[in-house]
Amino acid sequence: MILRRLLIANRGEIALRVIRTCERLGIETVLAVSAADRDSVPAKRADRIVEIGPAPAHASYLNVAAVVNAARTVGAQAIHPGYGFLSENAALASACASSGIVFIGPTVAQLAAVGDKLSARRHALEAGLPLVPGGAVANLDEARTLAASIGFPVLIKAVAGGGGRGMQRVESVEQLEAAIDRSTAEARAAFGDGRVYLERYVAAGRHIEVQVLGDGERVIHLGTRDCSIQRRYQKLIEEAPAPLLEPEMRAAIESAAVAFAVHLAYRGLGTVEILLDCERDCFYFLEMNARIQVEHPVTEAICGLDLVAEQIAVAEGRALGMVQDDLRFEGHAIECRINAEDWCSDFQPSPGRVEHASFATGARIRVDTHVEAGVEIAPFYDSLMAKIIVHGDDRAAALGRLGHVLHHSTIRGVANTLSLHRAIIADPTFAAGGMHTGYLEQFLASRAPLRAPAPLGGPP
Amino acid sequence: MQLDDEDVRAILQLLDAATFDELQIETDRFNLTLRRTGAAWTRESRTLGVPREWVPPPGGGTVEAGAGAATPQAIPTGTATEAATATPTAVVTRTSERDRLVAVQTPLPGTFYRSPRPGAPPFVEVGTRVEHDTVVAIVETMKLMNSVYAGSSGRIAEICCADATLVAQQAILMRIDPEVP
Amino acid sequence: MSQIELIDVSIRDGNQSLWGAVALNTAQILTIAPILDRIGFRALDFTSSTHIGIAVRNHRENPWERIRLMHAAMPNTPLQFIGTGLRFISWDMASPDFMQLVYDRLVANGVERFAVMDPMNDATALLQSARMIRKAGGAEIVAALTYTLSDVHDDAFYAALAGELVRSSDIDRLYIKDPSGLLTEQRARTLLPALRARMGEMPLELHSHCTIGLSSRTYMVAADLGIEALQVALGPLANGSSLPDAERAFANLREMGHGVDIDERLLGIAAAYFTHLSRAENLPPGRVQDYDATYLRHQLAGGVMSTTRRQLAELGLAHRFDELIPEVVRVRAELGHPIMVTPFPQMVCSQALFNLIGTERYANVSDQVIRYALGKFGRPTVPLEPNVLDRVMSHPRAREISREAGPPALSELRKRFAPGISDDEFLLRATMPAHLVDAMLASGPAPRHYNPAAATLMKLLRELAVRPRVTDLVIERPGLRLSLRGGRPAPAAAQAAVGS
Repeated sequence: MILRRLLIANRGEIALRVIRTCERLGIETVLAVSAADRDSVPAKRADRIVEIGPAPAHASYLNVAAVVNAARTVGAQAIHPGYGFLSENAALASACASSGIVFIGPTVAQLAAVGDKLSARRHALEAGLPLVPGGAVANLDEARTLAASIGFPVLIKAVAGGGGRGMQRVESVEQLEAAIDRSTAEARAAFGDGRVYLERYVAAGRHIEVQVLGDGERVIHLGTRDCSIQRRYQKLIEEAPAPLLEPEMRAAIESAAVAFAVHLAYRGLGTVEILLDCERDCFYFLEMNARIQVEHPVTEAICGLDLVAEQIAVAEGRALGMVQDDLRFEGHAIECRINAEDWCSDFQPSPGRVEHASFATGARIRVDTHVEAGVEIAPFYDSLMAKIIVHGDDRAAALGRLGHVLHHSTIRGVANTLSLHRAIIADPTFAAGGMHTGYLEQFLASRAPLRAPAPLGGPP
Repeated sequence: MQLDDEDVRAILQLLDAATFDELQIETDRFNLTLRRTGAAWTRESRTLGVPREWVPPPGGGTVEAGAGAATPQAIPTGTATEAATATPTAVVTRTSERDRLVAVQTPLPGTFYRSPRPGAPPFVEVGTRVEHDTVVAIVETMKLMNSVYAGSSGRIAEICCADATLVAQQAILMRIDPEVP
Repeated sequence: MSQIELIDVSIRDGNQSLWGAVALNTAQILTIAPILDRIGFRALDFTSSTHIGIAVRNHRENPWERIRLMHAAMPNTPLQFIGTGLRFISWDMASPDFMQLVYDRLVANGVERFAVMDPMNDATALLQSARMIRKAGGAEIVAALTYTLSDVHDDAFYAALAGELVRSSDIDRLYIKDPSGLLTEQRARTLLPALRARMGEMPLELHSHCTIGLSSRTYMVAADLGIEALQVALGPLANGSSLPDAERAFANLREMGHGVDIDERLLGIAAAYFTHLSRAENLPPGRVQDYDATYLRHQLAGGVMSTTRRQLAELGLAHRFDELIPEVVRVRAELGHPIMVTPFPQMVCSQALFNLIGTERYANVSDQVIRYALGKFGRPTVPLEPNVLDRVMSHPRAREISREAGPPALSELRKRFAPGISDDEFLLRATMPAHLVDAMLASGPAPRHYNPAAATLMKLLRELAVRPRVTDLVIERPGLRLSLRGGRPAPAAAQAAVGS
């Protein structure tokens, strides 16, 4: 089919991102907005807007009925769910299928298979991938038993989750109950489903992921990403390809990801998340994200594709236009997520009005943002303001360019994490690359005595 | 007209070789400023224009219920808000007493929850004895749960906000009577 | 009433008719490709050997890469190549096995639809080309019935031609190709049914230029008579000596009750794109043409007429211009009624000129006329007038030309170039000077992005860059305000600071 009108059921920078590709392809965009986003930057860029509910996400962006009704009302043939919100929601995908609306994402069955993290683990096992020791827990007793057998520390994760929400590390059995309560609450708020599962916590692990693209028959991979720079399981910095991997390990990880996607006959864009156990020099399947991800630009930089356009092509029923051998990966790309948070005050979210936003610009610099002077950062949604992405011939060149961009970019009016990123890339450990997932917490802890609360919006 | 990243890069290449330090383009859709400080170029954008609301074509189909209308009512989908219907609303105290009560303010704007999870009993009720670091509520902001502490010892005198509602910056959530033993 | 499809010719025939075929590089075409693809055109008239040569010569861009990129960007709309038989880029004839390789490579790179035309409407030549194209894997082959006015080109002539072509399994569709825009509404009402009667189920298309303003109404008559598809062009690439405007044709067809499955919004966006491009690049838009009755008689396009008038003036013979037109008509008839498309108008006109100023008619003949008479442009529609043929062949030059070797075989030709090169590169080297192909290859992959708005802005900035005294500048136009502020000279270190 030829897609002519698309409902975008998301907001912020990803809504703008999808609008940009649709403008290029000539697809008419209708942006579904909550009352709080009526005057947002993406709302002004979209061809049309349609309001789907009040500001709180559960009443608007998480409201399946409102989203589907909006698509029907405006005569959209397809819905792009972005990331987060309903992007991996089987209820939305189902409702689309029964309304004859194309859901830009995988099939309902595939969403169910990988959306439920336990089911994903089962499929990974069937596809021959190694798994992190762990499993489902229905109650506190089960949790205690499983945690005892895995050994502490353990990780609690949301079964219906993703994006690090609802994840916590638990050091001892005494902390288990409260931690499970908190994770359950966060999971319910973010995904509408409070189920959790446990996994062994790997002390020195790297979070590597593989971007895959399938058309329901064939699958190709678009290289690796390293997302080990995390704070409480939220990614802050991502890079492509994953640096400092032995070629055999890289090839094994890529093949495993493709094998998993092939096993599912996967359709659409997806990311297979892998935990690289640095101590044991092996890797485990973690989960699969069946949506476009925040960090997709670093993959776009190294492979030269427009991933939103690829999603749309698959959704239109077209076979993949390339084979694995057609792909060339060039150089190295790094992305920094700039959030509206005061990182010197325990990353407290900083909603408010942006007074000024300017970013360095030039060759091989890309900034994906919905933020400009006058934009209100509302408290209802996540705190991502901008993604700064640089590309270089190699990691060192990318780092140099990244420093330049961070140094010459300014946001005033809300607290933001620009200065944190400047500090991180100046750190020799980061410059060396290949850090494990504990790195950022250690970095922050080591700087704690030196940090004073920053004046709102300015650099420290 | 729109200018994308490639266009800006091409423009910068020309500007680099010239003496200009600033280029500003204004159309009715956007305002773009390219500025040079030293060797670095920065860009600053303003997106202008008014969002265009979807309008059904003349003689076109019906608008289905629930779509597009700016209803303030939330449509419950089995989330934490279902707990909202079961809890009591604020208790108001007489003005003369209020002066000595200690206000418990929200640390951040967000959604105020009285219980640790839906269906569980609230952290405190009116009359509950609290200490300085007793957790009395949770405020959820941008998907993160923030515990609200009493900040004072005493008893809960009034609860000012309904469960699972939005609270603005510095909103008063509860008042504590510090003198009651 | 009926469903009608549209074929867009903007990039190939529109470009050739109005902009000398030299406008439109890869970036300009590729940028609008996704939108063109979604409009719902049945096909895009995309390239020809002329355009392939111009890509190399004028743009220094790889024409095969352009086809590949376009094919990838347009999965819903087939790209068309139009060919005139045994010739590729150069004016020399090519051997059949060379042409087979040309078609093979066109298909391999992504061309799916082929229009075959023979300037003499020689069925044998048309079928020969069609067979080679089918062998190469061409998915859709459309044969041209090239329209002209003359005593021999009546309805019966075209019906007979259609009858021959429709029997071949290598031909999928026919189209009336009217390069001079001569087809009137009245003639369409007899010609189309005559063709239909011989075509059975085979679809028919119409392609008629707007040269004297006839085609937009002829198109409507054709639609009412059940034509399957009409060929049109977008925005500034329509009208003038190009084809009718797509948006106007779409609106007219719908007004008359025909169904056209076209995305109107995207049609407008594509037309606006070409309009902005034409302004940014100073390319003149096609204008609606006025009716010219004399044109139906001599069929000489404006350009040929003015050139000939100038040549007469240079010889001090301007006063004999009025004798020229009847001589043109007479020469054309004697030469077997060639269709007045390049190179034949020039050929006929020059011969008429020679006949006027020479001692006697056909005392001087051009090499072109000799080649034509020898059948090197194809078999003339009707034989030359026997006396004229004798006069032409009696020239010594005729003997020399008839002894010229035919085109070399493919294997021979390959030996002249380095053995390891790709077929794509070989086809260019065999037909163009080496330095042009070298320059094209050296310039690397073509840019892929073009923005007409940015192009205008860049032109302005380039102008300003050479005027160092300009420091502060404000330009205001409806809908646009541009301001530039000057400062110190650009630091020399600026280029080095931001890495690779």
